[in-house]
Amino acid sequence: MLVQDVMQHPVHTTTVDTPILSALQAMREHDIRHLPVLDDGTLAGVVTDRDLRYMTSPLRTDPVEADVTVANVMSTQLITAGPLDPVEEAARLLRTKRIGCLPVLDGDELVGIITVTNLLDSVIRLTGLEKPSGRLAISLNDEPGQLAQLTMRIAEAGFDVRSVLSYYEDEPTDDGAPATRLRVILRLDTINVRPIAQTLREEGFDVVWPTPKPT
Amino acid sequence: MSSTVLYHDRYQSYNFGPEHPFSPARLEMLVDLLDALGVWAAPVDPPVAAREDVLRVHAASLVEQVEAAGQGTPMPNARQFGLDTTDVPVFDEMDAATRGLVGGALHGARRIADGTATRVLQLGGGLHHARREMASGFCVYNDLSVAIDALRQAGYRVAYLDIDVHHGDGVQWIHYDDPEVLTLSLHESGRYLFPGTGGVSELGEEPGRGLSLNVPLEPYTENASYLECFERVVPYAIEQYAPDVIVAQCGADAHFSDPLADLMLTTQLYERLFGAILDLADTHAGGRLLLTLGGGYRFDATVRIWAMLYLMATGHDLPDDLPTDWRTRWTERLDAPITPTLHDAPQDFDIPRHDTIVEQNRRVSKRLMEMIAPIWY
Repeated sequence: MLVQDVMQHPVHTTTVDTPILSALQAMREHDIRHLPVLDDGTLAGVVTDRDLRYMTSPLRTDPVEADVTVANVMSTQLITAGPLDPVEEAARLLRTKRIGCLPVLDGDELVGIITVTNLLDSVIRLTGLEKPSGRLAISLNDEPGQLAQLTMRIAEAGFDVRSVLSYYEDEPTDDGAPATRLRVILRLDTINVRPIAQTLREEGFDVVWPTPKPT
Repeated sequence: MSSTVLYHDRYQSYNFGPEHPFSPARLEMLVDLLDALGVWAAPVDPPVAAREDVLRVHAASLVEQVEAAGQGTPMPNARQFGLDTTDVPVFDEMDAATRGLVGGALHGARRIADGTATRVLQLGGGLHHARREMASGFCVYNDLSVAIDALRQAGYRVAYLDIDVHHGDGVQWIHYDDPEVLTLSLHESGRYLFPGTGGVSELGEEPGRGLSLNVPLEPYTENASYLECFERVVPYAIEQYAPDVIVAQCGADAHFSDPLADLMLTTQLYERLFGAILDLADTHAGGRLLLTLGGGYRFDATVRIWAMLYLMATGHDLPDDLPTDWRTRWTERLDAPITPTLHDAPQDFDIPRHDTIVEQNRRVSKRLMEMIAPIWY
């Protein structure tokens, strides 16, 4: 999934010479928290609702007035993304820089904005279900061919895989040995997962779900 | 309260083959039991639903696919419509067989709508997974939605209650934005079980916002926790919504012995649930109630649960023991032991996460009530 698949576009912008009150009203109107700031059509900074509230706060020793221009309160240290960046890269950038949005630049042109909200939407899409399905969770040895063998057996049984998620179950150990178990969660096009789960178990797969019912 | 029972042997032609869990032998075994108990009275034989009736709810593209599949010539893209899959394999005359089941639910709805029946038990169907344009999870056409549509056409406000262990997704999506249909489903959480949906945040769309209620329950949920959640949500919702009629899908697959799912209910709880449903209809919907069957894949449990449904809906007392000749017959036929009593023997499950499960179910059902509060007021 790429930034261009989840970013906000077209994007609302403001300009360096706009009074901050107008910028705040624009945010209110569109129900957003971040505005890229343009100077003569080129990205010059980003202003957030928090910047505006902080700069105008009477708790400051020198609060600015409502007619001050955006140029005086925006952050100019630009951290941006490209439309073809993977969403996980954008997420990592937001996380490490501790910021809430990335203007998306295609060359010099502002083509969108990606915010934490857009990333949450992408998580919902990545883990979500477009079609009805049943859940099968397997713990695999992290070795070549394990996942291939698993999905081959599922295909042979006539099922369609509707979603795949995976993650390492364990952290690297203290002596630096890497994680060894990969948890794979498949959603299959069936209401009746137990028979294939049982078959896989008999063939030596570590089936985590479904489990036999308690008695 | 007089009851109308709908049934015909043609219901058994909805048959995906001998290896398939949704077996018509369950109906045969049920009717045989009711007969052996001496409570089986000649049921009403409903007409088969017409193509136009099905088209009230389903896309013509799906109906054409099902018709072709039933004529032995499934179209190349049948799988896109959920057909010719492990769950919904094609079989001869599958279109007509499904319309047979749809006809039952629809006839029940029409009898209620024209006032010639109040409490109707459709001994079959409950195909709640079928979507407008897709067959799914053993369900070809959605008999429940066709019935609900007929009740809507007659001007009735409908409350749909689904106690099948799987989320009633087909019915929910078909009526998702309809302010005249409340859907209520209690089921094992979609995080673990097919179809994957049925979370508390699926509340419906305008103008039906707040009228799609879901109670997703943890795997290994037992009687007490299930009943606590049912009592928290269902009576309140029905009372507030004040429907003209209740349609209830009475799947039996939340039973502890069911091979497809992970809830741990016993027949004792089903007796409570059926009693509650009958009471809710009598108190809040003028007695108007359309009951259908649904899932249920352990023959022994499913047939006892549905026999209890029949007995309670038709005003019979519940017997303790089941007829010996019937048991002998079906023990032999299924090559599996049959419980000698209508109810399960007392159960005491050893579930390590018991307290966590109870707490999680409590939290989720309370969250649902908190979420609908601002919409309902």
